[in-house]
Amino acid sequence: MKKVFNHIAIKSTVSSPVKTGVYYLILMAILSLSSCTDVIELDVPSEAPRLVIEASINWEKETVGNNQRIKLSKSTPYFDTNGTDPVLGASVKITNDTNGAVFIFTDNSDGTYSTDSFVPVLNNSYTLEVINEGETYIAQENLIAVPSILSVYQSTDYFFQDLLEVNFEFLDPIDEVNYYLIKFQEAADLLPTLSTLKDEFINGSLITISNERREDENINQVAYAPGDLVDMELYGISKQYYDYMTILINQSESGGPFDTTPVPLRGNCINVNTPDSDPYGYFRITEVSKATYLFE
Amino acid sequence: MRKRLLLLLALLISVGSFAQEKYTLSGTITEAANGETAFGASVYIKGTYIGTITNEYGFYSISAPKGNYTLIVSYVGFQDISTEIVLDKNQKINFDIETSATQLDEVMITVDDSDKLNIRDPQMSVTKIKISTIKKIPVVLGEVDIIKSIQLLPGVTNSGEGTGGFNVRGGAVDQNLVLLDEAIIYNTSHLLGFFSVFNADAIKDIKLYKGGIPAKFGGRVSSVLDVRQKDGNNKAFNLTGGIGSISSRLAAEGPLFKEKGSFLVAGRTSYINLFLKAAGEENSLSFYDLNLKSNYNINENNKLYLSGYLGRDNFNFEGGFSNAYGNVTGNIRWNHIFNDKLFSNLTSIYSEYYYDLTLDLFEFDWKSSINNYNLKYDFKYYASDAFKLDFGLSGIYYDFNPGVIRPTTETSSINYFQLDKKKALETGVYINAEHKLTEKLTAQYGIRYSTFLRLGSQAVANYENNQPVVYNETLGIYEPSTPISETNYAANKKIESFANFEPRVSFSYQLNNSSSVKAGYARTSQYIHLISNTTSVTPLDVWAPSGPYIKPQLSDQYALGYFRNFKNRNYSLEVEAYYKTVANRIDYIDGSDLIGQNNIETQILNGESLSYGLEVLFKKSLGDFTGWIAYTISKSSQRTPGGTAGGPGINNGDWYNTYWDRPHDLSIVGSYQLTDKWSFGTAFIFQTGRPVTYPNGQYVYEELSVANFSERNANRLPSYNRLDISATYVPNKKPENRWKGEWVFGIYNVYNRKNAAAISFGQNRETGANEASRTAIFGIVPSVTYNFKF
Repeated sequence: MKKVFNHIAIKSTVSSPVKTGVYYLILMAILSLSSCTDVIELDVPSEAPRLVIEASINWEKETVGNNQRIKLSKSTPYFDTNGTDPVLGASVKITNDTNGAVFIFTDNSDGTYSTDSFVPVLNNSYTLEVINEGETYIAQENLIAVPSILSVYQSTDYFFQDLLEVNFEFLDPIDEVNYYLIKFQEAADLLPTLSTLKDEFINGSLITISNERREDENINQVAYAPGDLVDMELYGISKQYYDYMTILINQSESGGPFDTTPVPLRGNCINVNTPDSDPYGYFRITEVSKATYLFE
Repeated sequence: MRKRLLLLLALLISVGSFAQEKYTLSGTITEAANGETAFGASVYIKGTYIGTITNEYGFYSISAPKGNYTLIVSYVGFQDISTEIVLDKNQKINFDIETSATQLDEVMITVDDSDKLNIRDPQMSVTKIKISTIKKIPVVLGEVDIIKSIQLLPGVTNSGEGTGGFNVRGGAVDQNLVLLDEAIIYNTSHLLGFFSVFNADAIKDIKLYKGGIPAKFGGRVSSVLDVRQKDGNNKAFNLTGGIGSISSRLAAEGPLFKEKGSFLVAGRTSYINLFLKAAGEENSLSFYDLNLKSNYNINENNKLYLSGYLGRDNFNFEGGFSNAYGNVTGNIRWNHIFNDKLFSNLTSIYSEYYYDLTLDLFEFDWKSSINNYNLKYDFKYYASDAFKLDFGLSGIYYDFNPGVIRPTTETSSINYFQLDKKKALETGVYINAEHKLTEKLTAQYGIRYSTFLRLGSQAVANYENNQPVVYNETLGIYEPSTPISETNYAANKKIESFANFEPRVSFSYQLNNSSSVKAGYARTSQYIHLISNTTSVTPLDVWAPSGPYIKPQLSDQYALGYFRNFKNRNYSLEVEAYYKTVANRIDYIDGSDLIGQNNIETQILNGESLSYGLEVLFKKSLGDFTGWIAYTISKSSQRTPGGTAGGPGINNGDWYNTYWDRPHDLSIVGSYQLTDKWSFGTAFIFQTGRPVTYPNGQYVYEELSVANFSERNANRLPSYNRLDISATYVPNKKPENRWKGEWVFGIYNVYNRKNAAAISFGQNRETGANEASRTAIFGIVPSVTYNFKF
C-alpha cells in the first residue's frame, strides 16, 4: 500500500490507477479499523540465473546523443541482497537497419558497455546484438519521438492541501497514437518513481503530470519541501514497451486482492540459439524530454 | 428432442390414467404466528410413502386412493400436526402451524431433514437454511451475513477474507445465480466483500443448489442461491431491529386489508463513518439497504406479491473522489391455483446493478450498469403421488452499459467516450418430472432449452483472420490485434445467437429406512460473464454478454452421494462426490487491460476449467446442542490453450489453480442452549491458503529491483484458520411484555491469528532490499449487538 503514498498522478487519465489506486484507498479506509501489515520472512522458489539486458538508448532533446551505455547482468534469487551480478566479456553492438551504420559498445569490465559515437535518427529501426558465453541475443526497436515539456510548476495536492507537488505539462500530438514513460526522481531518492501513460482517452490534450509524496515513517519518506530538487523525464515509447513497463510497474508491488496475477515479464530480446532461455530486460531506443525543478 | 418430449408426454398421460380413483388434497401451509408461508414443510400420509414438500409459496398437493388417513404436517421448529382425514372427494385444507414450545432448542440446520422424505428426494447437492440458523453463527462485527454463512457449508469457498462473492464447487463468483425473490442480484457485497447485501431481518430462508440444479433455473453454471424475503406478518403489526457495531436495522411488518395482505419494510444503514471520523479519517464510507415486500390474497386461488430491493454503497475520499454502486430490483408476482393439482406463478422482474465513479481531481466521471427485464411463467402439476411435473418459460432482456466516460468540467482534458452498449435476449423453456419409479427408486429428470440472442444496435469490430488476439511468436506473448473494420448492426438486428439443450437427471435409491444413495448429472449454460482479471472481483467489474467472440460457458456436473440419518434423525451424514467441467471459461492474457476496454475480446482467450471433490457433512439437528462438521477435499483448476490465436496458451497452456482452490476446507459450527437466558455459538474454520504467485528471482532494471514470476498460482498463502464465539443473552422473558430484546456478544478470531489475506512483494524504497509484506485483515474483533422485537 505504499504505492499510493508516492505516486504520479496523471491529471487526465483513467488508466490503472482507477482500479488499483482507488480500491487501495477504499481498502485502506476499511482496514484502518482493524487490519495490519507487517514484513515477514518467507521462502520463495529460486530459478537458475538468466542474462539481463538493460539497453536503454536515450536521446535527450537538444543533444547529439553520441554517448550511450548498455548494462548486462545476471538475475539473482529474490531475497538476495548481494547486489547485481555483472556480466563481463560480452560483445555488444547496435546496427541502424535503415542506413546500415554499426555502433560497437566497448566492455568497461564492470557490467557496462559504452560508445561515444552513436547516431540517433528519429523513426529509424535499430537492432541490438549481444553475444555472451556463445549465445547470441538480438532485439529490434524504432527510435520514437517525444513532445517537449512545456512548463514546470509546483502546487499543492488536491486532497491534502498542505502537500507539495510538482507538475509538468506537455501537448499530446493529435494525429498519432502515443505512449509515454514518465520518471520522477528527487536528488536524495534511492529509487525513481515510474509511470506509463497512453493517450487513448486524452488524445490531443494538454496533459499535466504531477508527483507528490506523503510522509511514510516505515521507509523514512518525507513530503516534498522547499529546497528539494526533482528530476523529471518524459519518454516517447513503443506500444510494446508501454505494455512491458506497465506490467513491470504494476508488479513492482503486487499480491493484493485487487491486483492481477503477476506474470512473467517478456522483453523484446530473444536468444537466437536457445529460444527457451530468453534474457530479461529490454532494448528501448527513445527520445526523452527532461526538466528539473527546485521547490520553493 | 421432439421425440423425447413426446415420450415424456406419453408418460404423463399414462401416469394420469393410473391416477384415477384417487382424490387430491391441496392447500397452503402458513405459520400461525405471523402468516408467513412455509417453504419446505412436509405433508404426508402416515404409514405410506405418499407425501410432498410445500413449494416456495407454501402450496402442497397430494393424491391418494379413497380412504381414511392420518395426515402429518411437519416443519422444522414447529409442532407436528396430525389430523384424521376422510378422503372421499377432492378437498382443500390450509394449515396454520404453531411454533414448538421448545423453539429455542430448535434444530439448528434444516437441510430438508424435516422427515424421512429427504433421503427419498432425488434432489441432491442442495442446502436450505432458515434465517434463524444463520443468525446463530458468530460473525465479524456482529453483522449477520448470509454469504459468509454459506461458506461454512461443504463445497463453498472464497478467494480470501474480505473479498466479494463466494465460490461453489470450484466455480467462479460470476457462475452463481443469486436471486432475491427471483430477481437477479449482480453483486452480493457491501464494502467490497466485508458484508453481504442481504439484510437478515428481511429474509425468510435461503436455498443453495451446489449441483443438480433443477431445470427451472438457468443462466449460471455453478450454483443457484435462492433467497426469499419474508412476506410480512399478516396477523399483527410489529417492529424488529438491531443496533450493531457496524450498522443498525429496523423492520416494520403488519397486516393490510383486514389480514388479506401484509407488508414488510426493512432498512439497514451503516455508520462506519463515525468510526472513521473518530480515527481521524477524512474519508467517508457507508452503505444502506431497503427491502420491501407486500402481498395480497385476492381470493383462495389468487395471490399477488410485490417486492423490491435497493442497496447502495458510497465512498467519498475527501471530496475529490466519490464512488457509488448498488443493486436495484423490483418485481410483481401472481400466484394462481388453476385447480387442486396445478399451481402457477407469473413473475415480472426488473433488476439493475450500477456503478458510478466521480473523480473531481481528474475532472471526469465514469458510469456503467447492467439491467434486465425478466418475465417468467412457472407451473407445477401434481399429476399423482408418483408423478409431478414442473414446466415453464422465461425471457430476459438485457441492457449492458459497459461504461461511459464524461468530462465534468469545461477545462477537463478527458474526451467523452461511450463504450459500445450491448443488448441481448435470453430465453428458456423447461420441463422437469419428479417420478417415483418404485417404492425405493425416485427419479427427477428434465430438460431446459435455452437460447441467447445478441441484438443491435451495435458496431462489432472485425479482425484480420478473425483473431482478436494474436500470438507473437518472436517474443512469446499474446497481443491484442487492431480491428480492421466494423460491422454495423441496426436496432434489434441479430448479431449472434446460441442455443443449448440442458438435460438434468438425478436418482435416489433408498437403501433402508434411514439411508439412500443418489446420483445426478446436470448440464448448464451461461451466457453472460463477469469480466475480471483480479484475484478478487471488484464492484467496478463489468458484465459482458456472449457474442461473436465470447462463447457461452457450458458445464457438465456429475455427482454421487450417500445420505444417512442416525438415532431417530438426531444425527445425519451426507457424503457427496462431484466432478465438474466448464467449457469456454474466459481467461485473461498476460498484462490484460480491462479498464475502459471497448474490445474485451482482444484481452481474453477461451479456456476451460475442471473441479472435483468430496464433501462430508455430519450434523446434529436436535437437542440443546446442535451443529455440524463440514469437510471438503477438492481441486479447482483451469487452463487456456492458444486456440485460434496460436501459441501454447495462457500460462503455457498448462493447468493452474484457480484463486479459490482450497484443497482442504473444514468448518465446525456449534450452538448450545444453556438456559432460557443464555445460549452460545461457535465456529472454527481451517482452509488451505489461497493460491498465489511468488517471485522466483530478481534483477535490476531502470534502477529498480524487478521480480520475476513464473507459473500462475503455483504457490500458496499460509493456511487460514480462526475460531469465533458468540453468546446471546435474553433478559426478562416475561410473556406479557411485548418488547423482547436480546444481547449478542461476539468475538471473531479469538486467538488473534494474523491470517494473511495477501502477501505482497516489493522493494523497500529506503533500503532497496526486497520484502514480503503480509496483510492480515481481521485480528481479534469483539462486537456487541442489541436486537429487539416489538
